[in-house]
Amino acid sequence: MTSAHHGRIAELLSSRAVLWQLVRQQLILRYRRTALGYLWTLVNPLLMMSVMAFVFSSLFKADLKEFAIFLFAGMIPWGMFNSVSTQSAGAFINNEGLIKKIYLPKIIFPLSIATALLIDSILSFVALLLIIIAIGGAVSWVLFFLPVAFLLLFMFSTGVGLITSVLTVFFRDLQYVIIIAMQGLFFLTPILYKHDALSGSVAMLVGLNPVVPFIELFRAPLYRGVVPGLSSIAIATLISLVTICLGLAYFYKQEKKIVYRL
Amino acid sequence: MSGIIVSGLSIKFRVYHDRSPSLKDSFASIFKRRGKSSFSDFLAVNDVSFEIKSGDRVGIVGHNGAGKSTLLKALCRVYESDEGLIRVDGRLAPLLEIGAGFHPEFTGRENIYLNGAILGYTQNQLFDIEPEVIAFAELEEFIDTPVKYYSTGMYMRLAFSLATAMHPDILVLDEIFAGGDAAFMERATKRMYEMIDKANIMIMVSHDHNLVRSLCNRVLWLDHGKLIADGDPEQVINSYLRGA
Repeated sequence: MTSAHHGRIAELLSSRAVLWQLVRQQLILRYRRTALGYLWTLVNPLLMMSVMAFVFSSLFKADLKEFAIFLFAGMIPWGMFNSVSTQSAGAFINNEGLIKKIYLPKIIFPLSIATALLIDSILSFVALLLIIIAIGGAVSWVLFFLPVAFLLLFMFSTGVGLITSVLTVFFRDLQYVIIIAMQGLFFLTPILYKHDALSGSVAMLVGLNPVVPFIELFRAPLYRGVVPGLSSIAIATLISLVTICLGLAYFYKQEKKIVYRL
Repeated sequence: MSGIIVSGLSIKFRVYHDRSPSLKDSFASIFKRRGKSSFSDFLAVNDVSFEIKSGDRVGIVGHNGAGKSTLLKALCRVYESDEGLIRVDGRLAPLLEIGAGFHPEFTGRENIYLNGAILGYTQNQLFDIEPEVIAFAELEEFIDTPVKYYSTGMYMRLAFSLATAMHPDILVLDEIFAGGDAAFMERATKRMYEMIDKANIMIMVSHDHNLVRSLCNRVLWLDHGKLIADGDPEQVINSYLRGA
């Protein structure tokens, strides 16, 4: 580690109060003056997934209970990856006023979005887990693997988020492109279906999708009740490390240019 | 000991003649290298060097657009440049735009913690100064109301009380500001002067030349981004006014 790295880590540590304030702002502000408040964060995906489980289980002629657990296990990691990638696009452009007025380590903007969404995601997961238990899903000690899964997913999503946050400053169109790209990627990710149900060029395309290993990290313990295979863990770890390193490298290379382009 | 060293500092802005480049334009320009470029570079601060020592009270004068505010923002690290060097020793407090980061949906009290964190206060410090900030702003009654319901004066009072609650080593001011009614203005002005007195170094931009004469022991004159003069307030201001 160079002194530049040490300086950045020290700076980030000294700004953790601001980071926490931004996370708090993101978490509670949306639901000010609503009756359910923060519960909306949980109700929203639950209702959405229930409808999807109901429609697609009948479409695929699958057992509703089994399909619901299968879908929940895929939607949790997808939901977090999708929100971090798309919401990070606004990390700097939505805070233009602040960035132009006062110096803050800029990494706290994308980092606060990713952290807030991680908290959202963990809480929705807990709510879903309670439902899975209620409808009789298998719960076992393999669930202790999930913190690792969340950590890897967080690193991967944050890496992507760092890149989208900076790129959007330079190319404003990107915030809309990302939303469309994510809709496409959703169908190229085995969330509604199983990867081995595909064949031919689509299967190959899905095989190249970097999100797939992260889905497996959640689906193995939640749906099949087993610890993910070593190869899945290894691939997910590699992808998350490469992504976060690329994200940080790109971010720090462009950091000083951001304020001039807002 | 506080001190500031600025050497060979240039700050370059890119001025776009039409609009921000889209993804499409960026791709197109990879293939099309000729034609007139859609932007030009503009030096807001042009090769400026100076040194400020402990105890200095520095005023910066110049026309609108001379680069005064940009220079202050560079000292506060809002604009970071690849050309030149800035070294700041000491805790620097920018009082450039108070209320930065105030969130309209948050209550006054929540904003003390949010804006305070942005200003670099620790949570413990904020806890300690909270009653004093609220009392100085005279907002005891409305401190748990979202600031979007505040009047402009109430908003300014809270922002000012918070921004001036701690005494920094280096004070950076863009005009002396004080909002609110006459009574508050009087207390605020008094508090500003106290802060200036206690600061180790003070740097201010102002168009009020009498104020600069009375507060500063040194004046920098900027014109079109260049440092024209640096010295005794009376001499520099007089030559600036003659030139103007």
